[in-house]
Amino acid sequence: MHIPDSFIPLSQAVIYWIIALPFIITSMKWAKNELDEMKVPILAALAAGIFAIQAMNIPIGMGTSGHMVGAALVAIVFGSPWAGVLVLTLVLIVQGFAFGDGGVTTMGANILNMGVISGFIGYYTYVALRKSVGTSIASFGGAWLGLFISAVVCAVEMWIAGTFPLVPGLVAMGTYHLIIGFIGEGLITSIVIMAIAKSRPDLLEDNFTARSEKNKKETHA
Amino acid sequence: MSGKSNVKFFYVGIAIALLLAILAPFLASSDPDGLESAAGGIVEESKISQIEATEPVVSSPMPDYSIEGLGKGGEVAAIAVGTLAVLAISLGLGKVFSKKI
Repeated sequence: MHIPDSFIPLSQAVIYWIIALPFIITSMKWAKNELDEMKVPILAALAAGIFAIQAMNIPIGMGTSGHMVGAALVAIVFGSPWAGVLVLTLVLIVQGFAFGDGGVTTMGANILNMGVISGFIGYYTYVALRKSVGTSIASFGGAWLGLFISAVVCAVEMWIAGTFPLVPGLVAMGTYHLIIGFIGEGLITSIVIMAIAKSRPDLLEDNFTARSEKNKKETHA
Repeated sequence: MSGKSNVKFFYVGIAIALLLAILAPFLASSDPDGLESAAGGIVEESKISQIEATEPVVSSPMPDYSIEGLGKGGEVAAIAVGTLAVLAISLGLGKVFSKKI
């Protein structure tokens, strides 16, 4: 879903950059407030893994392929969608500048779609579902929905840009990303989260139990 | 959260990432992704060729995750370099931003 430069006119690409910037800055503030020396290796390993897995395009039929985005996964592990925004921003910067994967003018739009929208929708869907359906289905559902909605938003951006007609764009982007989201995003996110839940349950628990205790302490202090 | 097990997570993560970098050039589908595929299906051909003729605004050193003349080995190297670059930037950012314990 990496939008190349040629898909959005510069005047509109700048607007997406302007909208994306406060999110990028807030994600850095999140890093400043929440990251400690213990968590940095986890963030770095996830970022490297997400960069690599984005090179692994999975065929979905109809002559089309797709890959994982990963913002929801990072957000769930860190208990904050800002972690997803931060990691996707770093990954998209390297992809855009070093590999021409996604334009530089359209990087704002790509950060907005893949980092902000898929991360926030993925994470909050996970949080809403977690208690009723459990971690594995909630992370699957969150990641899937996050990717699908970001593809729908991307189709609307393509329409505003004058690149895609609205309805065929929504249908094509929606169809492809429902499938990509199911396998590439939902299944992989769920498998990784369950593997972490099994091997490092403390990582996931920290975000819910330790965090709320910490917040309590802060409000008392 | 223990520091030792986070270091283990770190190394396991890097190992998986590098394994993906090695496998991707051989296993990844070369079919267009969802966005390109949608464009191919619904945008008129004249507009598509116009879009395709447009060069990226910033030219990248390793376009399409490949190194000129190096074939699959170059693709493995390109993805591995990217993976390590993301790793280094994340660690650097972490060093700048993280709180000392």
